[in-house]
Amino acid sequence: ILPVMNGYQVPPYSNGNSGNGAGPSGNGGGGSGPGSKFGSVSLLSVDPPNINERLPKEIILRVFSHLDLVTLCRCSQVCKFWHQLAFDGSIWQNVSLFEYGKDITGAMVETLAKRCGGFLRSLNLRGCQNLNDSAMRAFSYHCVNLERLNLSDCRKLTNEACKHIRSCQNLLSLKVNSISNISDDGVRYLAKCERLVELDMSWCNISDEGLTRLAQSCRHLAALQLRGCRDITSHGVAELSRHCTGLRVLSLYECGHNIRDEAMQALGANCPELRTLCLSHCGHVTDTGMIGLAAGCGQLRNLEVAGCRLLSDSGFQALARGCPQLERLDLEDCVQVTDITLAALAAHCSHLRILTLSYCELLTDDGIRQLAGGLCAPESLQVLELDNCPHITDTALEHLVACHALQQIDLYDCQQITRSGIRRLVGHLPNLKVHAYFAPVTPPGQPEPRRRRYCRCCCSLL
Amino acid sequence: SQLSNQRAAMPNIKLQSSDNEIFEVELEIAKQSNTIKTMLEDLSVSDDSDDPVPLPNVNAAILKKVIAWCTHHKDDPPPVEEDEYKERRTDDIPTWDLEFMKVDQGTLFEIILASNYLDIKGLLDVACKTVANMIKGKSPEEIRKTFNIKCDFTAEELEQVRKENEWCEEK
Repeated sequence: ILPVMNGYQVPPYSNGNSGNGAGPSGNGGGGSGPGSKFGSVSLLSVDPPNINERLPKEIILRVFSHLDLVTLCRCSQVCKFWHQLAFDGSIWQNVSLFEYGKDITGAMVETLAKRCGGFLRSLNLRGCQNLNDSAMRAFSYHCVNLERLNLSDCRKLTNEACKHIRSCQNLLSLKVNSISNISDDGVRYLAKCERLVELDMSWCNISDEGLTRLAQSCRHLAALQLRGCRDITSHGVAELSRHCTGLRVLSLYECGHNIRDEAMQALGANCPELRTLCLSHCGHVTDTGMIGLAAGCGQLRNLEVAGCRLLSDSGFQALARGCPQLERLDLEDCVQVTDITLAALAAHCSHLRILTLSYCELLTDDGIRQLAGGLCAPESLQVLELDNCPHITDTALEHLVACHALQQIDLYDCQQITRSGIRRLVGHLPNLKVHAYFAPVTPPGQPEPRRRRYCRCCCSLL
Repeated sequence: SQLSNQRAAMPNIKLQSSDNEIFEVELEIAKQSNTIKTMLEDLSVSDDSDDPVPLPNVNAAILKKVIAWCTHHKDDPPPVEEDEYKERRTDDIPTWDLEFMKVDQGTLFEIILASNYLDIKGLLDVACKTVANMIKGKSPEEIRKTFNIKCDFTAEELEQVRKENEWCEEK
């Protein structure tokens, strides 16, 4: 008597975790089927159900939509039906070759471009360093509906690639950061993509001329990354602000000394929607610029001015008053900041979540007392970086007990902070992560290397 | 009011499988199925009606599985608008669902068909991802074996598709 298999009810397979093991291994009488004890199981040819008979085309396409590129290519070799399904354009809308990096050559990309055709909406070629300009020609020719294109770190590309990209008139988001061959000539082509909302040109070789051209035609720009574009000056930023008044995110990280107060004033005058601004290491901005910015950008949530050493309390007082929505503020190495700035933030900024005060060497316990008694203390403040603030003592930590939402505090190289002070604070805030370092007693430990700086706003943006 | 009291007291609904088994489930659990939800709205079946909702496309064994899934996921946040640019991943199946999906292939396909018919997006997604995971990492021949697919390419055609796809294989 053969065991009755309830319809298609076949012995359970291993769900495909073991390569070949998912085949009809029950034939050998390996004991996997419920009928193996009958001894006659070898007569019963138990095949797994045929997926193409059981599931409709739409469902198989849905399964395929969860597959990566390589797997799809393998699927296309299974049978004629799958070959057709695997190249159904609807599952090639979003392609990322990031993980293949240097292995990607122009010929592969051209094949891909032909296959994806008009279906392709989003293409990530980040880090494909062997990609050359002619590959971009294939995409711009075949994939005119592209909306998002990431070419970060495709270092072989040049202005010629930009010339091809301009055919992608539907582009909303483009990243060409770290392609140092792209200059103003290239930007002139990119400016033809007038629908652009998001653009990253960090570490490209562009100047005010390119930026102005771009701003004049891409009026919808909302997020622009210009990190390390050292030829850009206040004039370029002013042009940008005049044409792209809806700007919400701007990074001028390490744009250097040519970014001055006029840039900040122009942003304040023209870009009321600005939410995120990074001016870190634009060392020549002063309080005058900050006052101008704060006067117009009342929606500002996220500001980084690390290393802007000319900024002082009067600028930050204006900021706190004018931008009460502030959530993140990075004042690392703003050496002139005193307790007065903290008092102003305490009085006006109830949403402040992350405050970086590293190397603000003039701060004292009294400033922390005011912050801990301020609007942001009871619910908002989550991260407080106080490393390398030499005057901060355990007394400051006692005040911080009032910051119930505090999750992380950085106290590296705060010479007056003791272990017992930290222990008391953690006693009140048990979930607090404390970043501190105490050198072993003997021999004297190496001083902690200064933390590597990175642009916080830019990591949180996109 | 009296009506709302009645509703609060009778939050259950009866579902009838294709093989005529009746399942009584909480209304909120059943409403994870957009098909059932729409049926109730369109037909304005009153909540206190005792008539079971017929589900002629789902048998009792599968309906039981589907109800178990919906019961476990009843407090899930509503499915968010899919970000079409999201990275494709299949390694994000929750542990409970992984266990739930440890069924024979026929049952898995039935669950897919049922969740498609009942329009339960979460279940359909997780079941499709499970099948995707069965495909991943396999050669074309292994895939054929797994899903009982016959290779209908001629030798020449096979060589051609292999060539065609050479570029995306590991260098």
